Amino acid sequence: MDFGSFLSAPEIKIKIVTYRDIFQNKAMIEDRFGEDYRASSALIKLDPADLKQLGIKKGDTVIVKNSFGKIVVRAEESGYEAPHRGTAYMPNSPWSNSLVSDETGGKGVPRFKDITATVTTAKGEKVTELEF
Amino acid sequence: MEKDYYVCTGCGLLCDDIEVELEKNAVNKVYTACRVGVAHMKEGSRDSAFLVDGKPADEAAAIKEAALILKNAKNPLVFGLGTSTNEAQKLAIELAKKLSATLDDTSSFCLGPVVEALLQEKFKTCTLDDIRHKADVAIFWGADPSDSHPRHLSKFSYFPRGQEKQRGWEEERTAICVDIRKSHTAKICGNYFFQVPQGGDAEFIEALIAGLSGKIPKTSYNYPPKKLLELANILKGAKFGTIFVGLGLLYSLEDLGPLVRLLETLNEKAKGSFHLVPMVGHYNMRGFNENLFAETGYVNSVKFEEGAVKHGPEYSVVEALKAKAVDAALIIGSDPLSSLPRSIAKNLLEIPIITVDPCETLTSRKAKVAIRSGVSGVESGGSATRMDGVEVSFKPIVETNRPSDEEVLKKLMEAL
Ligand code: SF4
Repeated sequence: MDFGSFLSAPEIKIKIVTYRDIFQNKAMIEDRFGEDYRASSALIKLDPADLKQLGIKKGDTVIVKNSFGKIVVRAEESGYEAPHRGTAYMPNSPWSNSLVSDETGGKGVPRFKDITATVTTAKGEKVTELEF
Repeated sequence: MEKDYYVCTGCGLLCDDIEVELEKNAVNKVYTACRVGVAHMKEGSRDSAFLVDGKPADEAAAIKEAALILKNAKNPLVFGLGTSTNEAQKLAIELAKKLSATLDDTSSFCLGPVVEALLQEKFKTCTLDDIRHKADVAIFWGADPSDSHPRHLSKFSYFPRGQEKQRGWEEERTAICVDIRKSHTAKICGNYFFQVPQGGDAEFIEALIAGLSGKIPKTSYNYPPKKLLELANILKGAKFGTIFVGLGLLYSLEDLGPLVRLLETLNEKAKGSFHLVPMVGHYNMRGFNENLFAETGYVNSVKFEEGAVKHGPEYSVVEALKAKAVDAALIIGSDPLSSLPRSIAKNLLEIPIITVDPCETLTSRKAKVAIRSGVSGVESGGSATRMDGVEVSFKPIVETNRPSDEEVLKKLMEAL
């Protein structure tokens, strides 16, 4: 029997839709290295059922990763009435951009709004620092 | 008493009705602007700063070092300029010519194709003032102005009274939103929110065209035909309609074909006329597109070479970086390390970077030469082209010892 599968945290596959947010935009103008910008950017909004499956509460951090990058961000409930399991929402930011494919088909346009990734609990790990 | 009104350069709307109160040469209070505009107008008054290798330097040393980088480069990239004045943009085009550089702005990976099609007269367009005075139907498609252009609905497209629209949104205007998520704008549109699945816009357009042409609208995702016909009927009855095209729509289309056909069908079937306006975000991205178009016939992604100009996606910032085709970068008012996919932007770290930006950014932190310029519209004046193509002039509100983009570019030109 594979005990690892019992011990490892659940992981779900998601599609990420990015969006812009006025509060985040304002926070960026005020200080793009500030706490407000980080709080309003480094987050992912999930369906409540997905949060439950991950075994986390809103506000907990999660690891979101794919072959292009890995980030730790805060998980929130989306607040949308219609259920959207498997689709998550992130404000457009350097965090979401860490997950965007470099595949452009030679057209010069990255697929910013077409991101797939997996999510697991970050077990309390801190939000990823913005740096290169 | 005559009042002084200022222009906000916080987004592509370039609101020109802003009043401010100053205290000790800093903007203390801002009236009429939105929350983004207020933050933007208070942004000025930071210390003058020229950094070389992350250390403070004087202006002459910084310009000299920047000029040296550009001189030594075989294929430099000049990028950004969406938040620079028309005057600075024209200088940057000259500079790029002199350097035989690749020149691009953010429009190559956002709304550039729509602006290009407008300049080539593939779409009928109109000004925001026409919309305020006449429009009865506005469609926000893949766009969320409540977040990106906060005063769009109140100043132009939905709420205001206008010359021919004295009863405003309560009776005379209809706002419609087509999007993949229920944005703040979608909420305002109430029952006229049409939610499409990701990547489903092209099919939605074809179905709508069918509906407008008296056929049954069908989609592979079974969008209720009744709802689509309801939308088609509203549009048919419009006297003055506008589609505001956002990135959400553009990114979901392979090309502009469906949108061109929709506009044509609308102008054929509707009572009145239909127009298209791109939801340009940066205050002068449209200006860059128009200035470059006037000079070269292209709106972005060009390379100058001994008097000739080449154009194509390979000269876009994304492909140029991806292919590692450029060996130095002059970046003006843009932060590609934040805004591009990390998987592509990281190639910038292999070449010398010069930044000209009012803010400290991820990119400026990695720059060999970082110049903090004045915030244009707050600390320096000039002119810009609003998202609908109207030229707007503005004057500085406060004084600064920081140079404008224009001044930096002039000095760089001289040093070359
Ligand atoms: S809507 Fe745009 S231009 Fe108008 S005040 Fe807000 S940020 Fe400034």
